[in-house]
Amino acid sequence: MALSNRDRARLSLGIQAGIFVAILVALILIIDWGAVRRSFFDLENVSGMFPEVITIGLWNTVQYTFFGFLFGLLGGTVLALMRIASFPVYRWIATIYIEFFRGIPAILVFIALGFGASLAFGLNLSTLQTASAALAIVGSAYIAETIRAGLQAVPKGQMEAARALGMPAWRAMVTIQIPQAFRIVLPPLTNEAILLTKDSSLIFVVGMAGSAAELTKIGRDGILQYGAGMTPLVVAGACYLLITVPLSILARRMEERSPGKSSRRRGKKKATESPVTAGVK
Amino acid sequence: MSTEVTAPAGVVIEDLHKSYGDNEVLKGISVTVNPGEVVCLIGASGSGKSTLLRCVNRLEDPNSGRITVGEFEATDPDVNLDAMRRQIGMVFQQFNLFPHLSVLENCTITPRRVLKQPKADAERGAMHQLELVGLDHLADRRPAQLSGGQQQRVAIARALTMKPSLMLFDEPTSALDPETVGDVLGIMRNLATAGMTMIVVTHEMGFAREVADRVVFMDQGVVVEEGPADEVIGSPSQPRTQDFLRRVLNPLGE
Ligand SMILES: Nc1ncnc2c1ncn2[C@@H]1O[C@H](COP(=O)(O)OP(=O)(O)OP(=O)(O)O)[C@@H](O)[C@H]1O
Ligand SMILES: [Mg+2]
Repeated sequence: MALSNRDRARLSLGIQAGIFVAILVALILIIDWGAVRRSFFDLENVSGMFPEVITIGLWNTVQYTFFGFLFGLLGGTVLALMRIASFPVYRWIATIYIEFFRGIPAILVFIALGFGASLAFGLNLSTLQTASAALAIVGSAYIAETIRAGLQAVPKGQMEAARALGMPAWRAMVTIQIPQAFRIVLPPLTNEAILLTKDSSLIFVVGMAGSAAELTKIGRDGILQYGAGMTPLVVAGACYLLITVPLSILARRMEERSPGKSSRRRGKKKATESPVTAGVK
Repeated sequence: MSTEVTAPAGVVIEDLHKSYGDNEVLKGISVTVNPGEVVCLIGASGSGKSTLLRCVNRLEDPNSGRITVGEFEATDPDVNLDAMRRQIGMVFQQFNLFPHLSVLENCTITPRRVLKQPKADAERGAMHQLELVGLDHLADRRPAQLSGGQQQRVAIARALTMKPSLMLFDEPTSALDPETVGDVLGIMRNLATAGMTMIVVTHEMGFAREVADRVVFMDQGVVVEEGPADEVIGSPSQPRTQDFLRRVLNPLGE
């Protein structure tokens, strides 16, 4: 009871450190490191995965994600504009689309496109088309909400100033609002790209030829092929990190120097300024 | 070096009504501003001054009544709003410069994109306006790198690059540090001298007395009193005007 806040904080920190060390020691003693090495880090036996895991797997994953993201961005921008349109039918359509595709598992879209498209419409989509289209369909729903939030984060006065100068609505949108919204949404869009990179693995439900295999497919096949336990999956996982970690760092960098931050600071300054001037006038 | 005002427009507002839901903000406003005239709109917070100003360039849609600006009938549903707004410059309390563009680009973007002026012409026009507000040396800066007073001067220059025939000012100095207010008011006075038609919402009674041809006092959505600045501010006849001016000129109430 006589402990001060500072003592209590120190005590709690000490206890946490103690628990952490205990767990670490237990892990080191209990775990059969040889077995872990054999089933997860058996790198000698998976050397056959190279260079294909990079030249085919990583390359395909990047391609599927890139096109999925690109078309998702286009679709998402259109949906976001529909979502804030004054014509209600546009808003309804966009809302239904967004809620639907955010609400169902992405894997259903892959199945629907992979099997349904040929059954229903006789379309014969390539793996690249299936994967990119599925990612674009799902991604656009999330991206639309991100972009809508970005558009609405641009102060109303910007649009008003542009319209007051005589810019038509579309021109003000294109030259004033969208460029500012774009800067605001760049970090969350990068996160979206990370999610899509991982979702591109869902194409496995459809199956694909070896030349179209992406990372997860190559990892799964490798388990059977190399007798190196789960090591091929670890290799595939590392390849994903090769894409996602730089994106993540990029997103954090942009967040740190985002214009949103400086404008928020400016906003605060104004808020303290106006009562002063209000008192003077 | 001074501003050239080519063809100042007159403004006629007749029986203007505007409601937000059940809240009737403008209750039958009629005001006439002759070409080249400067009218200051004064009144308590919430009396509808901004709403009236924003109805003139149709940033707000009035419920009924009639507004004409020069040859434009602002309240005609078929009016070419963009063409009309190109004739009307507006200056906002919060400046509303475009933060992603440089000072120069703020002033050239509309002439270039809307009036389709060649880049060189637009830049020449913009630099001329920036010179007039004394900020041509900051043309390459971003708005965030400028003081409030400088931003407001850029906002005025930006509006003038469109060669408007009417300027609307909505409390242009209310967000400024006191020491920068004078620069902005000085530019507005030059503009008035050059013959621009101006409607200015302001709490700067000194400016109103010196520059305004007429002062309109609004309260709760109606025009209570209007007339020459010296009369309305110096010897108001209406009790509500007297009361408002007492509070503005003597905020501590001694
Ligand atoms: N977009 C809006 N929606 C709903 N009510 C509004 C809106 N804009 C203004 N009002 C209301 O209309 C009334 C008049 O507002 P207005 O901004 O015209 O007053 P003002 O005279 O400019 O006041 P101030 O000196 O504070 O700027 C206020 O009661 C305000 O709450
Ligand atoms: Mg106002």
